[in-house]
Amino acid sequence: MSYSTNNARRFRWWARFLAHLLLATAISGCASFTEVRKFASLSGNAAGFDGITRDYVEAPERRKQYQPAKFYPDLESMKARREAQHASLDLLQQTLANYMHGLDALASGDMRVFDKSLVDVSASLNKASMLDANEKQAVGALSTLFARSATVWYREHEMKKLIGRSNEPLQDVIRAARRIVENGIVADLQVESALIARYYDNIMLAPDNPPEPVAMALAKEVRAEALSRADGRIRSARAYDNVLSGIAAGHQYLYDHRNAIGAIGHGETGPQFKSHINTLRTAYKTLLDVSR
Amino acid sequence: MEPLSADEAFELGNLLRDTAVALGEWRVGHQGSLTRREWDELDEREIALLNSASAMYTAAIGLVLADSEPALARLQSSVKHAKTAIGRIAVFKQALDLASALILFAGAITSGNVAALPVAVVSLEDAAAAIFSSAGSDD
Repeated sequence: MSYSTNNARRFRWWARFLAHLLLATAISGCASFTEVRKFASLSGNAAGFDGITRDYVEAPERRKQYQPAKFYPDLESMKARREAQHASLDLLQQTLANYMHGLDALASGDMRVFDKSLVDVSASLNKASMLDANEKQAVGALSTLFARSATVWYREHEMKKLIGRSNEPLQDVIRAARRIVENGIVADLQVESALIARYYDNIMLAPDNPPEPVAMALAKEVRAEALSRADGRIRSARAYDNVLSGIAAGHQYLYDHRNAIGAIGHGETGPQFKSHINTLRTAYKTLLDVSR
Repeated sequence: MEPLSADEAFELGNLLRDTAVALGEWRVGHQGSLTRREWDELDEREIALLNSASAMYTAAIGLVLADSEPALARLQSSVKHAKTAIGRIAVFKQALDLASALILFAGAITSGNVAALPVAVVSLEDAAAAIFSSAGSDD
């Protein structure tokens, strides 16, 4: 038996061994993160909605029209305080959005990058005249398995770690954001409604005002429109609060099932996690609808 | 006196707002018995109360933001961690190229086909060069 025949046999043995090893890795890492990606992508987009913060910061300026000039200095100082908070509020939202976009990127991976490498290896293999067709196929298959199983395994491992260490601060940040929205921004918008109502009540009801039916009817109409705008802002803020609640619940689910992250959205966990995604999608759609 | 907590500030804001609203309802309900001057004076009190409520909410939001800083810092560290993990996938691609080139190289050597070696060597050198040039660009 010649030296080269022995070596070729040894190579084939190693190729088979590696193929089995990598196949086992590939099967264990045969995970699809489609549902995790859907959730993370949706959460990233929804969390970054900036209309609520903008409304809050602009409120003092907007309210000048409903009060006498003697209150403008108070409104100016409130505006300055809110503008100073703007960066922190943005940071809160952007951190949530960035985290979710990061999770999305990790869940999606970019296999095209690896596929390009595999095409290169394939091209090299075709030039490698010392291997017969079967051996070329074996080496090509090994590279493909290696790439796909290792990246899936790596992504799964990193996602488990990321979700595990992030859930607690994420829930804390969402709780803080929800307190700001519900206890602060919504309550403040209710102040705006009260300001609007009293402004038009003054026009229509103040003692000694001359009775002018046309002006009264117009004031009534404008009052209703202004109150409706304020109500729209309140509904937007509450819709954003629902979005935050959906993100918190979905991420808690991921955390509780992180050890089987590759199976989330499939089998038993399928309907449960999909229901979290659907709730979040509905909340985000409502937010976009009421904010138009 | 201890400083207000965020929840106390929110509560105080609600109290100011609800008082202003109740005052407004009383004013409208007693419209017939109020002079213009009394009406205006009450109206100004309401505006002041409503603005104070807004200022209280602004302060409370500032307190929540301050309280959430540690959690936010931890989450930001997680975001950095995610970015590093994604970055490592790019580095991993180089490891993959190197590994694939090594498989090709090993195949060329074990088959004993000397004519095929240059292709495998070039592939291996390319993979290694990519890693070195990437490490150099990071410096």
